[in-house]
Amino acid sequence: MLVLTAIILITLDLQNSSTISNLRSVFGTVFRPIESTTRVVTRPVNNAWHGIFDYNNVLDENDRLREQVAQQEGATIAAAASVRLAQELLALNGLPTLAGINAVTAQVIGDSPTNFSQTIEINQGSESGIRVGMPVLNAAGLVGKITKVFTDRAIVMLITDPDFALSIKVVNIPRTTTTTTTIARSNAAVPSPVVPVDPGSSAGTAVETTTTTTTTTTTIAGFTPTVTTLPAVPSGVSSITVPLASELAVRETGVIEGRGPSRQPIVRFIDNSLRFGDIQVGVPIVTAGGSQSLSPPDIMVGKVARVVERLGSAGPMLEIELVADLSNLSFLRVLLYQPITEKPVP
Amino acid sequence: MNRFLTIMASRWTRLVLVLLIVLSLQTTVFTELRPFGVAVQVVLLMVVVAGSLFGVAIGSLTGLVAGLMYDMILPTPVGLGSLALGLAGATAGLLIYFFNEPTWWMRSIAVVVVSSLGEIYYPLVQATVGLDGWLQLRLLKVVLVVSICNLLLSPLAILVCRWTLSERKTFA
Repeated sequence: MLVLTAIILITLDLQNSSTISNLRSVFGTVFRPIESTTRVVTRPVNNAWHGIFDYNNVLDENDRLREQVAQQEGATIAAAASVRLAQELLALNGLPTLAGINAVTAQVIGDSPTNFSQTIEINQGSESGIRVGMPVLNAAGLVGKITKVFTDRAIVMLITDPDFALSIKVVNIPRTTTTTTTIARSNAAVPSPVVPVDPGSSAGTAVETTTTTTTTTTTIAGFTPTVTTLPAVPSGVSSITVPLASELAVRETGVIEGRGPSRQPIVRFIDNSLRFGDIQVGVPIVTAGGSQSLSPPDIMVGKVARVVERLGSAGPMLEIELVADLSNLSFLRVLLYQPITEKPVP
Repeated sequence: MNRFLTIMASRWTRLVLVLLIVLSLQTTVFTELRPFGVAVQVVLLMVVVAGSLFGVAIGSLTGLVAGLMYDMILPTPVGLGSLALGLAGATAGLLIYFFNEPTWWMRSIAVVVVSSLGEIYYPLVQATVGLDGWLQLRLLKVVLVVSICNLLLSPLAILVCRWTLSERKTFA
């Protein structure tokens, strides 16, 4: 009887039965005041517990964070300038940016009461425009996604939950050497061909003389992978760096999946292509975006902590170190983003 | 009026009210107080104690009600908690059934054993509906911490459960 009742309930809920939804809603209405009262009554107990067991940790963390803040103050200014520049460039080219997406700030009001669910509760719900599937961020990066919405609160599934899955991009930078070309000009008024070369090569120096009396010095005889036209500059010697196409960051999509609180999330379904090359530890992982994805592109997720090579065409599996500290969440930002496929038709 | 009073005075009404308070404690105090990063499961404790005090039928019914209430606040499908806690209550009742006159330490052993099993039932039931990924080594730590904490809290739970589920004289 017990098993039968449970199976009927599970089936009804998995079929998105409105009865179950209404039941949840009614129970929430009855239960929330009781929970709020209990929270107020038991706050001294919580404070005492944290005072006894967490005081030293808080002191250590405070020292560590002070040091970290001092280190990052300078870098933040440079990073902010870069971000602004990147956003301007994206806007100029008509590409979507995170700055153009509205967001709601929410406070974490509860943790998961069970040991088998990685969720948190926030104090903003459908009346703030939050919908199921919207991405949730903190200052560092992606934290999770909305899985249940009530009027004035919502449940966020964290990236570490085994049910979490999201398409991401691995921004790999292939391990190659920098290309530098030294150009000596005797006639600066004429555009000059620039020949990128590999300085690692031990080939002898060659001198090419053009009909315009521009002289280009390379280290590989007769090797011309790309040609770049330089603007006119005063005569003299200049040294510029021209990246080869193979040196540019290569993006490959995959799917990030949680594995519980004690294990790092993994990225699977990475294409094992030659162009993508060997994935380096530490390369960034960002959201992929796209019309089907629940998240906009280029939200920072983490960086590669370990690459697990697999046999056959399965491609490598990546263990990811998240940028957001999920054990210490207080204020979050919910991006009011819905992919085109999820937006209601007017 | 008498009928209403009878319903209000029944042990099942008391059980629902007590479980509401226990559930609120679970979602507030015991969500924050996490020894070794593990949430102590007082709802499970109530179910196990009910089973060990009143037998299989009462234990499984208490588990069903408590699980249903728990399911209402969890993002997982409704029925998972009912099944897991119902099974835990029934197991506790079954275990005590084998002791002729169970003493306090037999009940304590039952609480420890069934708390461990109850904590394993949940990821097992989750796996049956495709929510897998929780059956990992961390489960051992969870089981150990939950069992020890439930053992420590069991005297209080026994008092509350006895008061809640004992039959009283109804209004004439």
